Amino acid sequence: MKRRLAILAVIAAALWMLPYGVDSYAIHIIDVTLIFALLAVGLGLAMGIAGQVNLAQVAFFGVGAYTVAILTTRTGLGFWTAALLALLATAVTGLFVGTPALRVQSHYLGIVTLGLALAFTNWVTNASVSGGAEGINAIPVPELPGVDLGSEYLFYYLELIVFAIALAFGLFVVRTPLGRRMRAMRDDPLAAGAVGVEVPMLRMTAFALASVYGGTAGVLYAGLVRYVAPETFSIANMFLLLAMVIIGGRQSLLGCVAGAVTLSLLRELLVDYPTYAQVAYGSVVVLVVVFAPTGLAGLPARFRRRASAQRHELQPFTPFAEAPVDSGASPLLEVACIGKQFKGLRALDDVTLDVGAGEIRGIVGPNGSGKTTLFNVVTGLYKPTTGEVRFAGRRVTGASPYRLAQAGMARTFQNLRLFRALTVRDNVLVALDRTRTRSIWRYPLWPVGVWRHDRDLRAAADELLARFGLTDFAGALPGALPYGIQRRVEIARAMAQHPRLLLLDEPAAGLNGEEVRQLGEIVRSIRSSGVTVILIEHNMGLVMSLCERVTVLASGRIIADGTPAEVATAPQVIEAYLGDSMSDTLEVPR
Amino acid sequence: MQVTLQTLIGGLSLGAVYALVAMGFSLVYRTMGLVNFAHGNVVTLGAYVASTFYMSTRLPFALAMIVAIVVTGLVGSVIEFVLRPLENKDFDLMLIGTIGFGIVLDALAIIIWGATGRAVPSPVRAAPIDLFGLRIRTYDLVVLAIAAAAMVLLMLFLQRTKRGAAMQAVAMDHEAATAVGIHVGRSNSIAFVIGAGLAALAGGLVGPLLYVSPTMGGALGIKGFAGAILGGFGSIPGAIVGGLAIGVLDAFAAGHFQGYSELVTFLVFTVIIMVRPTGIFGERTVNRA
Repeated sequence: MKRRLAILAVIAAALWMLPYGVDSYAIHIIDVTLIFALLAVGLGLAMGIAGQVNLAQVAFFGVGAYTVAILTTRTGLGFWTAALLALLATAVTGLFVGTPALRVQSHYLGIVTLGLALAFTNWVTNASVSGGAEGINAIPVPELPGVDLGSEYLFYYLELIVFAIALAFGLFVVRTPLGRRMRAMRDDPLAAGAVGVEVPMLRMTAFALASVYGGTAGVLYAGLVRYVAPETFSIANMFLLLAMVIIGGRQSLLGCVAGAVTLSLLRELLVDYPTYAQVAYGSVVVLVVVFAPTGLAGLPARFRRRASAQRHELQPFTPFAEAPVDSGASPLLEVACIGKQFKGLRALDDVTLDVGAGEIRGIVGPNGSGKTTLFNVVTGLYKPTTGEVRFAGRRVTGASPYRLAQAGMARTFQNLRLFRALTVRDNVLVALDRTRTRSIWRYPLWPVGVWRHDRDLRAAADELLARFGLTDFAGALPGALPYGIQRRVEIARAMAQHPRLLLLDEPAAGLNGEEVRQLGEIVRSIRSSGVTVILIEHNMGLVMSLCERVTVLASGRIIADGTPAEVATAPQVIEAYLGDSMSDTLEVPR
Repeated sequence: MQVTLQTLIGGLSLGAVYALVAMGFSLVYRTMGLVNFAHGNVVTLGAYVASTFYMSTRLPFALAMIVAIVVTGLVGSVIEFVLRPLENKDFDLMLIGTIGFGIVLDALAIIIWGATGRAVPSPVRAAPIDLFGLRIRTYDLVVLAIAAAAMVLLMLFLQRTKRGAAMQAVAMDHEAATAVGIHVGRSNSIAFVIGAGLAALAGGLVGPLLYVSPTMGGALGIKGFAGAILGGFGSIPGAIVGGLAIGVLDAFAAGHFQGYSELVTFLVFTVIIMVRPTGIFGERTVNRA
């Protein structure tokens, strides 16, 4: 910590002294570089942190710069008033450009945002209010008592302060609940929704953040150059910006800054050969994505690796404190006449089941019988074609996954959906965090509150990890862990949500005998802590020993429902699920 | 009415070019799930190579076109080869990789042919056809015919040949395709080469319609992509319909909004995508959990 502060102080001092050693041309280059770095941080937040392909960052930049230019020259507003309005305008633009993200992602989002960026340049090139292709010049110097911001040396300090605040804010966001939810959403939007992350709101937030960074850069650009023209906001510059973020390392804001500085300097070195510079940075982008996808920011880790060789061990699970089940009058989950149709396939057909509070319900059936589809309908991933789902007495049919998660439903996935670029601790932290997107006002207005909240969450996460015996793996990435441990992490993550209902989709798949035994112990403890459990499982031994009631699905229909012993001897089950030949050899554990 | 029809015809011929571009996008996407953002720059490359051979060496237009297709096909296979390590792993990274290639191709075009554009004379000198008072340029008909032929050939290739069937298999499930002995890399490579060839065809054909310049590919690429998505990404008939639709939309936007046509085209496109993300012929893929 002390060393970090010292390094920071040295860097700050160096940046503060920088203008004393350079000529007027160099300071101009430095000023422009800082603006690009600010843009890159904004793009990094949207693309690297939140995973939203945003090719309109240069348009946000343009909206900021043009709004200042138009308001100061056409309406005679002061620079700072215009700047404030410009930030507002970019935030609105950001929300507008971000709306498609609610419906489409990845390359679709790329083309839509790119199209909107083109639409922006098309508009400023043609509109008379923006001065057409010539642009607008003679933007007034920003007035600041006692400081002449017409000097590029003094403007550097203004930029430096704004940049430092913006970068610090960005880093704060990344490391606290908001950024963690964004990174979770980037890694796996589906699982993020399932742990209660408000995916749509968060996507809009990502665009709003990116646009405000872009707008700030635009305001600074207008104040620095005092002239705006369409070519500054061209697609070529968008791609340059993208190259900065990729080469620097999109998942690290400091990497984005490094990329922006590196490419700006490279461009300056090759200023007489702009097309060769273009060939150079284009090639570097290709090489980076193939050989070093984490960019410059990932390089230190490559050299630092294999430092810790100490053995990590899975500790035993500590049972939860027992709690009484508040069994209301009605069952906790009621599924009524659910049908789900995929094109020609009827995956679920008139499925009705009730699960009482405090129950451990098993759902079994051959592969393709609709078990996971049922889970997906219950947790809001699929909308049922017919029928109704009620949770704790409330009708929740078709509610979005994150709302159901917030209402107390948690689940695990058949094929493990952990956030792969988040550590085990962060995986759990995302699920622990109950803050809503609407409370992001605390970020600019009351960051101390955010920080305190984060500290409390971390303490809770450590406690939960210790309970599941995962403390040794808290800092590891899930992909590096053995399969059995990943399964346990996923259950820990689900329990971090403090659910009332836990849905486990084949939790024993791929586990060895001892691990299955531990799993049984964990599930029993979860139930006695007051959580209702529904379990899809092929391991009949586990189902028979854990569940009070078992529901059997075949071809999307319920064919039997009862105690394990009843179900296991029902002829239709033996035929559908175990096959005819099994009926003689079947042993029912008691 | 007269004006409307005339605009429609103008839009269709440019739309046929967009359709060719869209087909390239769609073919690569359906085979390997990748959007090739360098596709537009390959169009530029094709346009330059075709026009250079046509104008300076006085090769017949058709022959110049074939040269262009071969050259861009090579470029396509290089792109695929370099990005192969990322295939079926990280699509966002691959997408950015193709943007990188686009940046390089863009700069190379400027280095080789200069930043200023060139006008290409029409290879068809016949007088425009007069049909019920509508003037139809003969070259427009040639463009439409070639686009239609390319679509038919591509569909035949995909459905009637063994190689085409193998590519369909890769598109559906690359792991299962590997398991039955299909070389996925080669299949992807062929998709890329054909895609690049289609781009060259589009670029060569559009030369006499527009002005050949380093920036032409960007606009053509984005509109072709828009066409592909509009039709239903990955669907070959969808690419044709979507491309033609974007061409017509573009022509009407240009007629009514003059300089603002691009703005209108992209706003309309955005709205359509939000209303129906899967396009006209597309199918929603199911999220598997």
